Amino acid sequence: MTAPGSPSVFLVDDHALIRSGIRAEIAESVHIVGEADEVDAAIELICERRPDVVLLDVHMPHGGGLAVLEAVTRACPATRVLVLSVSDAAEDVIALIRAGARGYVTKNISGPDLVEAVQRVAEGDAVFSPRLAGFVLDAYASGATQVDDELHQLTPRERQVLRYIARGYAYKEIARELGISIKTVESHVSSVLRKLQLSNRHQLTSWANERRLI
Amino acid sequence: MRTSELRGDSGFTRIARRPTDCKDLTIATTTTQGVDGTAAEVGDATPTPKTSRRPHRPLVRADDDAVLGGVCAGVARRFGLPVRPVRVLAIVSIAPAAIGLLAYTACWAVVPRDGEDKSVASRVLSDRRELQIVLAVSTVMLAVLITLVAIGVQGPGAFAWPLLLSSAGVLCVWRGASIDERERLQARLNTSPLVGAATATSWRTVLLRACIGGALVVVGAALLSKIGELRGAAVGVMIGIVSVTAGFLMMFAPWWLRTLRDLSNERRQRVRAQERADVAAHLHDSVLQTLLLIQKSATQPAEVVRLARNQERELRHWLFDPPYRHVHADGADSFAAVASDIERDVEEDYGIGVELIVVGDCGLDDALRALLAAGREAAVNAAKWSGTTSISIFAEVEPETVSLFVRDVGVGFDPEAVGDDHKGIAHSIVERMARHGGRATIRSAADAGTEVELVMARATTP
Repeated sequence: MTAPGSPSVFLVDDHALIRSGIRAEIAESVHIVGEADEVDAAIELICERRPDVVLLDVHMPHGGGLAVLEAVTRACPATRVLVLSVSDAAEDVIALIRAGARGYVTKNISGPDLVEAVQRVAEGDAVFSPRLAGFVLDAYASGATQVDDELHQLTPRERQVLRYIARGYAYKEIARELGISIKTVESHVSSVLRKLQLSNRHQLTSWANERRLI
Repeated sequence: MRTSELRGDSGFTRIARRPTDCKDLTIATTTTQGVDGTAAEVGDATPTPKTSRRPHRPLVRADDDAVLGGVCAGVARRFGLPVRPVRVLAIVSIAPAAIGLLAYTACWAVVPRDGEDKSVASRVLSDRRELQIVLAVSTVMLAVLITLVAIGVQGPGAFAWPLLLSSAGVLCVWRGASIDERERLQARLNTSPLVGAATATSWRTVLLRACIGGALVVVGAALLSKIGELRGAAVGVMIGIVSVTAGFLMMFAPWWLRTLRDLSNERRQRVRAQERADVAAHLHDSVLQTLLLIQKSATQPAEVVRLARNQERELRHWLFDPPYRHVHADGADSFAAVASDIERDVEEDYGIGVELIVVGDCGLDDALRALLAAGREAAVNAAKWSGTTSISIFAEVEPETVSLFVRDVGVGFDPEAVGDDHKGIAHSIVERMARHGGRATIRSAADAGTEVELVMARATTP
């Protein structure tokens, strides 16, 4: 019942209700190749079935999404991970993005939006939720990402794109507003993701902690 | 979504949810401004003109390549030298009057660790209790040293003062090290020979320790038994006492350390239990009540959605949002706190979802209050007329300006053509902003949603 060429997806979440909910919402548009409710099983099955995209929950017993993400990135780098979580905590978001996730969306995302996000990640692009865009802007504005060279700073255009995402614009709408193609929007977001992954770990962590603790 | 909305009637106070960080938390709260300020200064000062070729890196202690405090590795990294010669030099320089030792402990205490913005010394200085402990023990050591000199013991000689100062430094490190560093040091101590409390069960270590300890006790006892027979017997007494003490310490240190560790584990568990009780209390108080209400109003879908959304927002604030967003420095609400009030009120009053993103935060003045009031009007407007289930609010506090966007993807309207309620409200938003020197732009088209953009210059740039 899925269209040919649709991405294969693996679900990792320790709540069965959530898994079946996600399954119901996206099963028609993507090919779900399996699901797991714990870290070890997830790693094993993902490496065995090699899906295009893993939909990963953050909070699970025994290491959580981070453990799965790290193992999968090491063992089968071709598989891309999209984090799907209820957590809004800056440290969760930043830790997973830095560990190699291609995007972060929250579970209140609508079915069609989730399918679009999965397809985007399967094609190698990045997916930012408005909240993640807000976090990134905040981290860069607070100087948490100061690095030695200018290369890792955001360009004005990237900042502009992030602002549109935070304002709730879809990629398509951003492309229209800025008079550029969707591909260009995607490449700006991917470039932000790459810069985020390369920037100083300590500073980002302490930014995330400050947001939480002070 | 930055501020946390606790239920005022529950009388429930929020606690730090990371038990091991409790101490750091209290230190951090008192010096928030300072940390931010210094961090900014360090950042600004990075490109010094002195070394134009290589970017200037401040001296920090290494955290990954450290034997003890990471001073040598840090110095080597800062000046681009290989690590090993630096370490050898440090050890060699202990010989001339323990200069190396003193310099090492001084660096350990004063230079911050990589990734931490406060040094050990500044952490000790900002906590009165730690400072008292360090001062008290240092004074005791000073008294012992003075007594030794007074009774004519020349044993430590030129090493005495540097040794005293470095012991104070080490003490300072032990009391003021960050949780991270302390754990690393403890792990190192546990795997080091003789002291290794963790390996105390292996027969070889126990035997080795017993032998050395026993030998020291025997030597000490032998020396003590000769008092009076020789001149300078006091020297023998002192060495004897020290040997006996060292012997006992060596035999009993592991048990002592283990007891200490058990105590701290126990305390940690207690904090954790307390935290769990607080979470349970909170869940009981609000979540269970909401579930009850949902069951009662099962026949009214809109009410169920409203209740669920309220509870979700509250729980989310409680779990993920930092409490400091609540109020700004002088106790007044901050920009982000008021923005989050708008989110809550609109969600509660109109039963739609509001996604609020705030970047940065600042205090409020009249102009910003006007901006927020206009924003609230725009959000209410969107909630009433757009016909969608959710709206987005994005606010950004920049050094010169504050901007706020309220967006919905609902029915929209033609701003030029319509002369009804929409236009009236739109006018009042525009006029309110204009009165305070701000600007409001309303973009809307039929079936393409509406976005209100509000921009206000900040009166004083900090």
